Amino acid sequence: MIAADDILHAEKIDTFYGPSHILRGLDFRVGRSETVSLLGRNGMGKTTLLRSLMGLTPPKRGRIFVGGRDMTGARAGIIARAGVGFVPEGRGIFPNLSVEENLTFAERAGVGGRRDWTKDGVYEIFPRLRERRTNWGNQLSGGEQQMLTIGRALLSNPDVVLIDEATEGLAPKVRDSIWETLRLIARKGVAIVVVDKNLDDLFDLADRHVILNKGEIAFEGTSRDLKDNPDIVTRLLGV
Amino acid sequence: MSLALIQILNGLQNGLLIFLAASGLTLVFGILGIINLSHGSFYMLGAYMALTLTSFTGDIFLALALGAPIAFVFGMAIEWLFIRHLYNRDHLQQVLLTFALILVFNEIQQSVWGSHPLSIPTPSYLSASIPITGSLSYPVYRAALMLICLGLALAMVFVIQKTRVGRMIRAAESNREMVEALGFDARILFRLVFAAGVTLAATAGILAAPVESAYPGIGDRVLIVSFVVVVIGGIGSIRGAFVGSLLIGLADAFGKVYAPQFSAIIIYALMALVLVMRPAGLFGRA
Amino acid sequence: MLTRPALPVIVFFIALLALFAALPFVGGPYAVKFATRLMVLAIFVVSLDLLIGITGLVSFGHAAFFGVGAYAVYFVSPDYEAGNLALALAAGVALGGLAALLVGSFAMLTKGFYFIMVTLAAGQMLFALFHDTDIAKGSDGAYVNVKPNLTIGGKTLLDFDSPLQFYFFTLAALVVVYFALFGLARSPFGRALQGIRVNETRMSALGYNAYLYKLAAFVVAGAVAGFAGALFACIDGFVTPELLSWHQSGLAIMMVVLGGAGTLFGPILGAFAYISLEDLLKTASLVGEFVSSHWRLGTGAVLVVAVLLSPDGLAGFFRLFGGARAAPASAPAAATAADRPARRAKALSTKELSRNFDALAAVSDVTIRFEPNLVHGVIGPNGAGKTTFTNLLSGAIPPSSGHVDIDGRDVTGWPAHKIAHVGLGRSYQRTNIFGAFTVEENCALAAQARHGGVLRLTDGRWRAAETEKVAHALAVAGLSDRAHVVSSKMSNGEQRQLEIAMLIASGADLLLLDEPLAGMGPEETSRVVALLRDLTRDHTIVLIEHDMDAVFAAADTLTVLVQGKLLAHGTPDAIRKDEAVLEAYLGHHAEKSGARA
Repeated sequence: MIAADDILHAEKIDTFYGPSHILRGLDFRVGRSETVSLLGRNGMGKTTLLRSLMGLTPPKRGRIFVGGRDMTGARAGIIARAGVGFVPEGRGIFPNLSVEENLTFAERAGVGGRRDWTKDGVYEIFPRLRERRTNWGNQLSGGEQQMLTIGRALLSNPDVVLIDEATEGLAPKVRDSIWETLRLIARKGVAIVVVDKNLDDLFDLADRHVILNKGEIAFEGTSRDLKDNPDIVTRLLGV
Repeated sequence: MSLALIQILNGLQNGLLIFLAASGLTLVFGILGIINLSHGSFYMLGAYMALTLTSFTGDIFLALALGAPIAFVFGMAIEWLFIRHLYNRDHLQQVLLTFALILVFNEIQQSVWGSHPLSIPTPSYLSASIPITGSLSYPVYRAALMLICLGLALAMVFVIQKTRVGRMIRAAESNREMVEALGFDARILFRLVFAAGVTLAATAGILAAPVESAYPGIGDRVLIVSFVVVVIGGIGSIRGAFVGSLLIGLADAFGKVYAPQFSAIIIYALMALVLVMRPAGLFGRA
Repeated sequence: MLTRPALPVIVFFIALLALFAALPFVGGPYAVKFATRLMVLAIFVVSLDLLIGITGLVSFGHAAFFGVGAYAVYFVSPDYEAGNLALALAAGVALGGLAALLVGSFAMLTKGFYFIMVTLAAGQMLFALFHDTDIAKGSDGAYVNVKPNLTIGGKTLLDFDSPLQFYFFTLAALVVVYFALFGLARSPFGRALQGIRVNETRMSALGYNAYLYKLAAFVVAGAVAGFAGALFACIDGFVTPELLSWHQSGLAIMMVVLGGAGTLFGPILGAFAYISLEDLLKTASLVGEFVSSHWRLGTGAVLVVAVLLSPDGLAGFFRLFGGARAAPASAPAAATAADRPARRAKALSTKELSRNFDALAAVSDVTIRFEPNLVHGVIGPNGAGKTTFTNLLSGAIPPSSGHVDIDGRDVTGWPAHKIAHVGLGRSYQRTNIFGAFTVEENCALAAQARHGGVLRLTDGRWRAAETEKVAHALAVAGLSDRAHVVSSKMSNGEQRQLEIAMLIASGADLLLLDEPLAGMGPEETSRVVALLRDLTRDHTIVLIEHDMDAVFAAADTLTVLVQGKLLAHGTPDAIRKDEAVLEAYLGHHAEKSGARA
């Protein structure tokens, strides 16, 4: 059953890396304007799920719906144009393009012709990027690259953004600014799927939390539910 | 002394022409990841096409204006028909398919133009010579050729650095997956890049037609030299192809004059030397 | 692995042999010469299959060795009388082999596309040598005026001037070469070559020196090509530089693939098929004027279609008629897992081990000792440097500073295949087996690595011990009943078990396992965990994993790496309660929520 306001829906998907069975009959949905956090230890399937939703690692079984339309097996380019933005682990900026070029590359009207996000708008949120606009991608610091990737994803005016480990290895102040940006994006009505480890920040940001264990959903609930069950947190996320 | 100067000019002219062909090859390698043995055939077809088009239009540059678009469309067709099936195949299959294409192209060339060397004269308005020293002069056409090649090289740099397509090419080279994830279809890009490579090779063949006769084996020579240049310069590097081409052009020119028996061997020795010192080429990524 | 050809193939070739033996008596001189040329070409092409099909080396300069062998006959033949046949053939073999040694010694340093390029260029360089210089009359070609013969004590035993004698000699040579190369491919040396083709990295990790193996194969192939070239020179007594050109090399590759690479008999078919096709397309009376004057178009088109449609070639066609494998020797009953004697395994320790990648410190100053006969879990959040750490321990990459010790022996900076010989075996994050081979063949390759040098041509005295080791490894890993299954067809869990079986078969008693449980379901996981516990009897295991339940069930000690540094080391229970560890995994959330036990 696809809820009418789901922007993303993975229906009973099985995804493999070669013979490795990573996602096992997974059902995952994201509502329009909803922020969902994706939690779980390494190797449990978080990145694979994002990649399956994006069409980069298509599932072998099951179906993927974007905005209510069946996009199973569609190429990543098509899924991106259907309104899905991607902020990958490792950032995926183009090292041999300048900041300005990285942004221009992605600039596009969203589904339905929306243009909520512009280059100037991105530079407003990330003034550092404006300062560095002519620098090559590989001349940026980790935090700046992260800002660039987020800005780039926004410039395609997506309905939903998939964000994988955006605060990894960044200084606290930079992290804070990124969380601030995510809150801004959420306020503007863009749905977010965010993978991260910082539970407290996620408690503030996300409407719903999904914990993956060995390719299956082990827990799904609100921040309240998680706060009330610390043993679940330790068991599924800790040691 | 002045003989050496002539050789330097010859070497540069030769090198720039090689660069045109080799740059197409390195682009196809770097972006598409394909070994294309038929690359030399496109040079050859360009050279022969120049003969036909020149007799048709009466002028080599008009021939170029017609020939380049023809080559581009031809390149798109070849990519669509054959090359795109090779992207996920192993090296052996790529080698075989493109080798088979050589056989087919050679046969087409034989049927249409025959096996005798053919040539066309340099255009009358460029057939004078520039005096360099008291006794030696350099043909104007060759000088024009160098300028045209340099111009095309600069145009290439411009396209790659300043245009949208160039941006996509650079992006695809570093992160093909991200290009897709940002909403683009890499397949169309590949078709364009392959067609561009074919056009560059054919253009080189057309431009060279007035200064060297076209004969059936001409494609082989260009292919091997292009490969050597790409290995020396580094796969995917236009800059490397430029440096490598000039190096080879000069080595070849001087080799032919001072050690004619070994001029071919020198080129391979150069390649071996570079491979030993820098396995990824002078400007290549490891 | 290369097996005896199926029965239909054997029958076919016996028939073909009979046909060729009868040919001189029913066909005219043209037919005899044509068939001789075919057979010489077949010898050449079979030698190329040793490289392409068996070892996986796509050499684009092989014709150069053929040509060099042909010219060798010219060099040793006197101008106006018959030369010594044995000398001529030996010269072909020697010169072909020598050229291959020179080219191969630096071509083997390259891989993939660069290898193809280097062999192409080397071949062209040799072509240029014969074409441009006057080392042998240049582009005009050279004549062997009188064909060699074998005269001993005034009696002429064999004369290549006689088409009939030459024909039967060549036929015999083809048969001998085929069987010799077939035997070579099935010997321990040849099995190693096949392993290199399927997975070279794994072979190095198992302890094989891949460079030497590939070079040896290259030289053998070059020598046989030289032999074929020498025979060729005796057909018409005329040699040209064209014999060395890359076009000939390309055609040879075509014949190998057309016939079916890796089968050794397939390329013979491929050569026959191609030459016959070429001859057919050139005969106007059969195909008409247009096709015959454009025969190259026909062959090119056929090849394009062949590549696009089928990678298996003509040999694949035969496989349709039931490629029955030779019945395997039954494995002797092996000691069951429980019978194994306990044995002290090795200890692994590091001292201030560090590795930087430009500015990034992937691993910093890790000092640790992994005691023998225990399972040591290495855990840590994302980006902790665990895989880099594993690579440092196994010799896949060298450290920037610090030491690695195995049982007190400093192995810092040793290459992977050397460390393998000291008893360390590792498995990979992504399954890294020889997918094309059976379970048993996988383990056999692992077992073989320890014995004999590169040129081990016979199974010899180690065979019994190795068969025993393989059976034992399969029994311990629980795969005895899957011994003859092609490994790529097994489930993920079974493939992981195979990885472990290979390590056991290789005799390694210090096992480094990188995420062996990734992508496994619950029953598979508990099976592997039980196996790991059982292995501590005679192995030391270092295990990188994320599956916490499994790690707690399997490990005796836990080591926690965070951002490349050693954070904690101790028993699982102690680690579970360690605040610093909780903080690393859960962030400052840990202290706020009271998640501590």
